[in-house]
Amino acid sequence: MKLLTHNMLTSKCIKGVSVGYPLKINASDVKETEIDFNPEFVSKMIPKLDWPVLYEAADSLGKVGDLPKNIIENFENDEDFLKKVHHIMLEVEIVNGNLICPETGRKFPINNGIPNMLLNEDEI
Amino acid sequence: MDQSNLSNQKLKKIEKKLRKLQHIVLKETGVECSINKPTNILVIANAGLINGLTEETVLEHFSIYGTIETILLIPGKSCCFIRYSDELSAIKASENHNGTLNIAQNSKPIYLLYATSLPNNEDDAINEETVPGLVIFEDFITLEEEQKLLDLCDFESNSDVSHMKNRQVKHFGYEFNYNTNNVDKNQPLTEGIPEECNFWNRLDNTAFKSFIPDQLTVNHYLPGQGIPQHVDTHSAFEDPIMTLSLRNPIVMEFKNSYKHVSVLLKPRSLAVMSGECRYNWTHGITPRKCDMVHTKTGDVSFQRDTRVSYTFRKVLRKPCECMFKTNCDSFKESIEKLRSNAPELEKEHVHKVYEKIAGHFDSTRHKPWPNVVEFLESFETGSIVVDVGCGNGKYLGLNKGVFNVGCDASLNLLDICNKKGLEIFAANCLKIPIKDNCVDGAISIAVIHHLANDERRFSALEEIARILKPGGRALVYVWAKEQEKDQEKSSYLKQYRNNKTPQAAGEASVSNLPIHVNRTQFEYEDLLVPWKLKRSNESNKSNEPNTFLRFYHVFHEDELKELCEDIENIEVIKYYYDQGNWCSIIRKY
Ligand SMILES: [Zn+2]
Repeated sequence: MKLLTHNMLTSKCIKGVSVGYPLKINASDVKETEIDFNPEFVSKMIPKLDWPVLYEAADSLGKVGDLPKNIIENFENDEDFLKKVHHIMLEVEIVNGNLICPETGRKFPINNGIPNMLLNEDEI
Repeated sequence: MDQSNLSNQKLKKIEKKLRKLQHIVLKETGVECSINKPTNILVIANAGLINGLTEETVLEHFSIYGTIETILLIPGKSCCFIRYSDELSAIKASENHNGTLNIAQNSKPIYLLYATSLPNNEDDAINEETVPGLVIFEDFITLEEEQKLLDLCDFESNSDVSHMKNRQVKHFGYEFNYNTNNVDKNQPLTEGIPEECNFWNRLDNTAFKSFIPDQLTVNHYLPGQGIPQHVDTHSAFEDPIMTLSLRNPIVMEFKNSYKHVSVLLKPRSLAVMSGECRYNWTHGITPRKCDMVHTKTGDVSFQRDTRVSYTFRKVLRKPCECMFKTNCDSFKESIEKLRSNAPELEKEHVHKVYEKIAGHFDSTRHKPWPNVVEFLESFETGSIVVDVGCGNGKYLGLNKGVFNVGCDASLNLLDICNKKGLEIFAANCLKIPIKDNCVDGAISIAVIHHLANDERRFSALEEIARILKPGGRALVYVWAKEQEKDQEKSSYLKQYRNNKTPQAAGEASVSNLPIHVNRTQFEYEDLLVPWKLKRSNESNKSNEPNTFLRFYHVFHEDELKELCEDIENIEVIKYYYDQGNWCSIIRKY
């Protein structure tokens, strides 16, 4: 699972959970892959991100490196910054671990890169 | 009255009238008629079924001129065809009745023309047709046995018979309620079926050999009495139902949506209604005083006389499991149950099935549909597009400029996506774990038709709408009930091979839903569609079943559109039919 996906996921679908965001990450296995860099794609994606959540996620995996805590000005023209974001958002992947609902502590297992967000009947 | 006695003025008036009627008959029936070129077919040009004209009236006035071969009263038409065996009879009838016999509406005179042929009407052939599942054993009992049965129920003096509007009735075993067409299975009568009726071993060499009825209704019909068309309630009785006719013949009418067959029931004959006849055709007796039968030499009419019938049935102790769902009360009940047990049904007939067929499913699903690809390509670089119910991922990653993420409830299908390097997560389309107002686009291709009731299908669409950003668009495909549009068959139908037979269920079904024959038109909205699994040689040795049934709700023309239009903040910007699917593009505002 990419951190870009994590940036969108919520456990609000559990009965009684009001926000369910962001999901905490407990990773046992993380990998880094290589994805073609597309500066236009990254520039367009940045405003759509919940930046603090991405930063926090990267930090919790120990992958934050020198990524700035806040989005920089004129990022469209800063290829170095765009590459860092590209790496964090698309190339860092959680292979095994858990996503955890911030309100109930419900664990959603990630196995072989696939988060299992299916709910039991008593949770809906 | 002879026409020569009519005044010239009157004759002119009749001719003028006839000329007008010639056109009307041609327009209504496509049959060319003539005023003065005789044939053996007469047309009453201004009276028919819709004016209240009956076969009986026609017979009364026209049978005295010769042998009538056919009387054709066409539903919804104001004309009637009478075919004599010879031209002379037709001429004589016309000379006597044209413009002078007052049997048209409001006792107006009828006008007669000569027709070149009978209209090409389906009903035309009714009496040559047979009713599937109806078998008649003539002389099933002897004259002596008939008398014994008649003595059992003396309708003239007996007080324990009920007098219904149209006839007298007596019950044995259980009381058959003609208002509900059902029996109270918990209220057996003290009087069982009389032992005089124990002649069932005569059916030993037939398909009905183990028939032991426990319910008997005796009906007593006087001339002019009848019984309305009805189907004996499916859940009330087993298949077959048998009727023994006593004393005098009568014509029974059998009807389904397309056909009408009149069948002569002779005294001492046993009519066995089974299968299609028992479940899908109505039967009844028209209240009238004379009947007509078709014989090789032509039609013969006869006056009715008292007829007694013994109808034997066996009470059904469980829900009906027939194949004829249209008239099946047990089936209707099970559809009602879908409302409450939808999650269970989806688990059994959607989720579990996809887990089992994932590999084979993947090998059959690689070609993306062009209109879906076009939609995906309409998103600009940097868009987020979610595939709800992504299956084997064939629509993921087609547009390289967007971030595509898929979700599905089948872990085995997700494994297949994962091996293709696609970004996915497991989720049910009713609970998408994505933030509100988050994505630029969504697709849901062939997913929502797997949800078992209307509320759930609507919720799934609302869920897609919820995750869309304002301005975001989604494309939804569902299977259409209509598999043929503008005379073009869908590719699903085109692949029909003639060797298909309904396949047995691979697993015990949680419902009583109809099982669809693949590559044929849909007869029902909610149904199970078989998936025949091709296994690799190795696993083929196992005893696991090879056929799995997937639940589908197939959508009628406007159904998806109407659901989408009911969602808040959603407009339908395009609605179309694509290869057997109804497709909707929606936008959030
Ligand atoms: Zn039935």
